Amino acid sequence: MAAVRAPRIPVEERLFSLVLALLATDAGLTKTEILSTVQGYRQKYVAGGDNAALERQFERDKDDIRELGVPLETVDDPSAAGDNHLLRYRILRGDYELPLDISFSPEETALLTLAGMVWREGTLSAESRRALLKLRSLGGAASVPELDYAPRVRSRDAAFEPLRTALDRGVVVRFDYLKPGQAAPRRREVAPFALVQHQGRWMVSVVEPDTSARKNFLLSRIVGPVTVTAKAFARPADATADSALEGLDLLWEQNTATVRAAPGSDARTRLGARRGTRAQDDDVLLVHYSDRQVLAEELTSFGPEVVVLAPAELRALVADRLRDLAADHAAPPVPAPGEAVS
Amino acid sequence: MTDRRPSLHATDKLAFLLSLVPWLIDHERVSVAEAAAHFGVGVADIRRAVELIAVSGVPGDTAQYQHADLFDIAWDDFEQNDVIVLTNLVAIDDTPRFSAREAAALIAGLQYLSSLPEHADRGAVASLMSKLSRGASGEPSQVAVAQDETSEVVALVREAVERGVQLEFDYAGVRGLVERRRVDPLRVESLDADWYLRGWDHLREALRTFRLDRIASPALTEARITHRASDLSLPDTLFEGSPDDLDVVVEIDAAAAPLLDDYRPVDVEDAGDGRARLTLRVGHVGTVARLVSGLPGRARVVSSDHARRAVADWAAEAAARYDD
Repeated sequence: MAAVRAPRIPVEERLFSLVLALLATDAGLTKTEILSTVQGYRQKYVAGGDNAALERQFERDKDDIRELGVPLETVDDPSAAGDNHLLRYRILRGDYELPLDISFSPEETALLTLAGMVWREGTLSAESRRALLKLRSLGGAASVPELDYAPRVRSRDAAFEPLRTALDRGVVVRFDYLKPGQAAPRRREVAPFALVQHQGRWMVSVVEPDTSARKNFLLSRIVGPVTVTAKAFARPADATADSALEGLDLLWEQNTATVRAAPGSDARTRLGARRGTRAQDDDVLLVHYSDRQVLAEELTSFGPEVVVLAPAELRALVADRLRDLAADHAAPPVPAPGEAVS
Repeated sequence: MTDRRPSLHATDKLAFLLSLVPWLIDHERVSVAEAAAHFGVGVADIRRAVELIAVSGVPGDTAQYQHADLFDIAWDDFEQNDVIVLTNLVAIDDTPRFSAREAAALIAGLQYLSSLPEHADRGAVASLMSKLSRGASGEPSQVAVAQDETSEVVALVREAVERGVQLEFDYAGVRGLVERRRVDPLRVESLDADWYLRGWDHLREALRTFRLDRIASPALTEARITHRASDLSLPDTLFEGSPDDLDVVVEIDAAAAPLLDDYRPVDVEDAGDGRARLTLRVGHVGTVARLVSGLPGRARVVSSDHARRAVADWAAEAAARYDD
């Protein structure tokens, strides 16, 4: 039935009806069957006419539904493989439903709720909200923890989202990367395999396709946009987020700097509380780090409370930063009005 | 007819419908209010969703959405008693799987939290993560956040809350003065790798936020707490402004400007040459020096003159320690 004035069907009703229809079919439905019979499409379908716009809408709806984790699959007609018009669509119940043996105790539900809260800012917030909806769907109540927690992890680097897309697609990316101390950024073409936050900073762990070498890049040093290419790359089985974090922890353990921090100062307390720090003396600390430049920034911010003793490169970095800072602030940026001109 | 891309909103609503139906099936008879409370949404959201579910279904053998092909509810109960009873079911029985990204978000969140005292049982956390992986429709993406040892302070805070006693510790303020503080612990918060305690400070007689890594020599006291989280409304922002705050203007490479978001710049302007000027409110000039010195992108205080000189003096004093 080709309605001339179709009633407005809300988007969620069309998507819901599509999921129901595809769950109810074993053999699958062809695109024409879907467009001509499913609520939300059938109202706009023109029998024997041009349905190009409707077909494009169906393509987008499929992507949106898959985005929710619904395994919408396509089945070739055995007698006409590759014929797009005979392609059938369906959602297999076993792939759609949460396995029956998966359930969560009130303590687990409470932990997962807290884990979802971690992402309440930024790009992962929509996903954790949906995950928590599904958790609620299972019916379990959450136990209330004694102590109120409000944990938060942010993912505001502009490079985060395109890199995550590349991770999910398993493809190579291109970006410009500015190494501290270098005048200009350098173009990199790498295969990302994990996004990890270490010591509060997001890094992308990659494999260099040419050399197979594994490296980490700080997201904050990526300059300009990240290009997600179509070049596929198979992630080696041992290239995981956990292995990337282990590598960074190892670096952290291997690299140490010796600093003098004034006793009783804020620097002494905070550097003393840092992971792995050892006190050699009342005021001399051995602190660990994974990136020299990042540590230099942190140590500089303690100002006169800290002096770097070793290594020499770190000492020079901090001293240079402090001298630059003093020079940058020595004079007003523009002549103050009313200043005498000689 | 316009073909607009369904907003995020529509997919969120779909996720809600797919989550609500199995729960309603399990709860044969449930009030709208109870459903709203369970899912943390408004009663109007529940009513709208139920009305949509009640008229939805599958095309069926006739491709005409016959009555038996649709969900149905006990309309009288719904309209008169605000109670939901599904009387006919279609296509859906159980909760959908997590998407690969949804599972990844929860797994990374769990990992981040794994140093909290609540996570003491590592084996239980590992089994929870594997359940999430098995319950996902695809392999969860490789996203992880390293857990930092949140130190024994969190465990002590938790013990103070359980016993209902005040916590005391040495704490250095911005001006470098160390004082013994007595606090009613209210909430533990975090921002990436930094952890904070929010509490009622008996010395200042006000709500205060403390960095955990600045807390030294913490100990439980015998004194009962006088303030509870449920009695107070904690502001969302960790640090509150005060009328005495100073305006400072900082110039920085535009690419690094987002690093100052936490300081809630009151004004941001383009300074040309890829630089940006941000007006920030800070409590103390001492904060400004620490702030700009730790930032990449050659941050520089433009005004006030007082703040600029304070940074210059501070940096010169620190740099002098490197003159051999």
